[in-house]
Amino acid sequence: MTDVGRHPGITLYTMSEVVDVKGYVGNFDVRILKKARYVDEKECTACGDCATVCPVIRPDEFNLGLSSRRAIYSPFPQAVPSAYVINVNECLGHNPVVCAKCKDACDKGCIDFHMSDQEIVENVGTIVVATGFEVYDPTEMDEYAYSRFENVLTSVEFERLINAGGPTKGELVRPTDRKPPRSIGFVQCVGSRSARKGGSYCSNTCCMNTVKSTLMLKEHYPDMEIKVFYIDMRAFGKGFEDLYTRSRRLGVRYVRGLPGTVEEDGRRGLRIAVENTTTGKLEMHDVDMMVLAVGMKPASKTRKLQEIMGLQLTPDGFFLEAHPKLQPVDAATRGVFYAGCAEGPKDIKESVTQASAAAARVIRLMHKGEITTEPITSMVIEEKCKACGKCAEVCPYNAITVDVKRKIPAAVNTAACAGCGTCAAECRFDAIIMNHFTDAQILEQSHAMLETEPHNKILVFACNWCSYAGADYAGVSRLQYPPNVRLIRTMCSGRVDEKFIWDGFKMRAPVILVSGCHIGDCHYIDANHWTEKRIRKVHKNMEKLGIRPERLQLEWISAAEGVRFAEVMKRMESLRQGVTLEEIDETVRILTST
Amino acid sequence: MGTVDLDRCDPDFAKELARQPEAEKIKGCFTCRTCVAGCPMSAVDDAFNPARIIRMALYGMKKEILESPFIWLCSSCYTCQERCPQGVRITDFMTLLKNMAVREGHEPSGIKAQMDLTKGQGRIYPLDDFDNKKRKKAGLPVLPTSCTMIQELFPD
Repeated sequence: MTDVGRHPGITLYTMSEVVDVKGYVGNFDVRILKKARYVDEKECTACGDCATVCPVIRPDEFNLGLSSRRAIYSPFPQAVPSAYVINVNECLGHNPVVCAKCKDACDKGCIDFHMSDQEIVENVGTIVVATGFEVYDPTEMDEYAYSRFENVLTSVEFERLINAGGPTKGELVRPTDRKPPRSIGFVQCVGSRSARKGGSYCSNTCCMNTVKSTLMLKEHYPDMEIKVFYIDMRAFGKGFEDLYTRSRRLGVRYVRGLPGTVEEDGRRGLRIAVENTTTGKLEMHDVDMMVLAVGMKPASKTRKLQEIMGLQLTPDGFFLEAHPKLQPVDAATRGVFYAGCAEGPKDIKESVTQASAAAARVIRLMHKGEITTEPITSMVIEEKCKACGKCAEVCPYNAITVDVKRKIPAAVNTAACAGCGTCAAECRFDAIIMNHFTDAQILEQSHAMLETEPHNKILVFACNWCSYAGADYAGVSRLQYPPNVRLIRTMCSGRVDEKFIWDGFKMRAPVILVSGCHIGDCHYIDANHWTEKRIRKVHKNMEKLGIRPERLQLEWISAAEGVRFAEVMKRMESLRQGVTLEEIDETVRILTST
Repeated sequence: MGTVDLDRCDPDFAKELARQPEAEKIKGCFTCRTCVAGCPMSAVDDAFNPARIIRMALYGMKKEILESPFIWLCSSCYTCQERCPQGVRITDFMTLLKNMAVREGHEPSGIKAQMDLTKGQGRIYPLDDFDNKKRKKAGLPVLPTSCTMIQELFPD
């Protein structure tokens, strides 16, 4: 951490928040709000003279309230930058008449009450999202009585107590009597693997953290009675099983079964009721202290950052990688990478591995100074263009310029064009060619798919980023869905031209599905709004023509919704079964006569 | 713990249960036993063990469950259902089993007597004039001593 602070090539913004991210790979503009520190971080030597005179005493967040700090403080001894900070909501010193004792105590004059929040814009080429995690708050799990009994601690609080740099200098004491406990019970999976409280996923680190804690305890207090209540002990990593075996050999008792109730006895000890699964008997365990191995949950501002950057989340709330197996550190957006628990619960070793991988991915992109972009951009055929201005209106990137008044044909800025194809779909004069996703290419695909037995097929247009990836996810998750689904990939659902739909029905398609990213999640800012509008229009026309509108469906399926993809496909299949051959004949007759 | 004789089990029982909304998730049970550990009934009488009943149901021990007295021990306090990490509706499942047992004619005599009482006079504890006298003294309104209206709710 100190190395990062000292490195000339690294600018570290602490106490800062990303407010906005604009741009694309190689040219991101990141707006950062740097909160006022009220202490000059370059001048401060962290001598601590200010804190000794500060009259405000507050609970220390780093030690989870197990010790106290002043209103001017250093969060923890190794904090980078090594400078003090004032919590302005607690400080009395805005008015020098009231306090300002720290200002008098500081010989170097580092303290400045007039400092204000700063907004900084950084232009960067790539972004690594490493926003970490938060721990589960076990208050809602009443059976563990975390909020009722003082001697029930979370694993994080326990860690501070047993840590040599912690408030007790590593001396383990019971909160109620400040004496070392003679017995201690650990409860696993608190807020993990639960369909109703906390996360339904395994938090990955708690088992080994508990094993480590028991080993430390046995090392310091060999006579301490230690019990661990668990559902499954997951010691899957390198060397983990050894630690687990050692812990058991040292006399730690592992009891399979989760506690149901915890009661306090007269001496503030705890009586834990648990059914031992191996004996099938309800057992009562008396311990002096109980530690809840709390799980991980996504950082609270994950969703906000996801909206700012246009990223995706998995259903459990962590960031979604571009591919679960082959691109585990990349975001779907080019130039954005993930490291650590932002992407999912993981331990230190895995976090370092992923961060190293992310760094390598960043270097691979950045070292050349230029990148090869996708050739998927749109192109205007000037002779056909009537300069109506529709394309410029729908382009989410303002990449098209057209002068409607002077009838100057549209022109595409290929550097700004991201390739959604909405312009090509909306152009009524076929004046726009979407390279690599031309009308001819897409129609050819749908013709080939509907060549034989069209009445048995389900024609699906899926956008590259969400729905097609959702299909992929359904595949890697080995979910079953009807095999007669035929997928046509477009970069965005906005590319799906009205023409493709009419042509599909003409080619005897019984049902057609258009699918894309959820509204607000579109990779082309808001191109899928145009999809929605267009489908509504087609539905109206179908009704007018006497074709059942249900045969054309629009569904939003994200890349994480493999299950939903399979469900939608099953629903499409049941819709398809409701379409008779006569109905298809009738549709073809209607469409060819108009 | 006894031995399970799989030959005597009914493999269709689990499937039959899976169709009921109350029992949809019983396969999710990963035997953490938090239901047993928190159960006020199991604490005083180990004949009642929700996790074991779920296991028995999954093995298809239909006869053993429906004819047993232990399913009637559940006091429907919902502690287990509230705490189950897998979202199994344990208390609702017990109610389902009770209903199935009644349908198959295995209700305990006490329950049957209570049902007949309710059917006959609308109350489990009948009121008489003596009760009404006491109520009057306490300033409470007089209640009818029989409530035959409830019979209309029961089909014949």
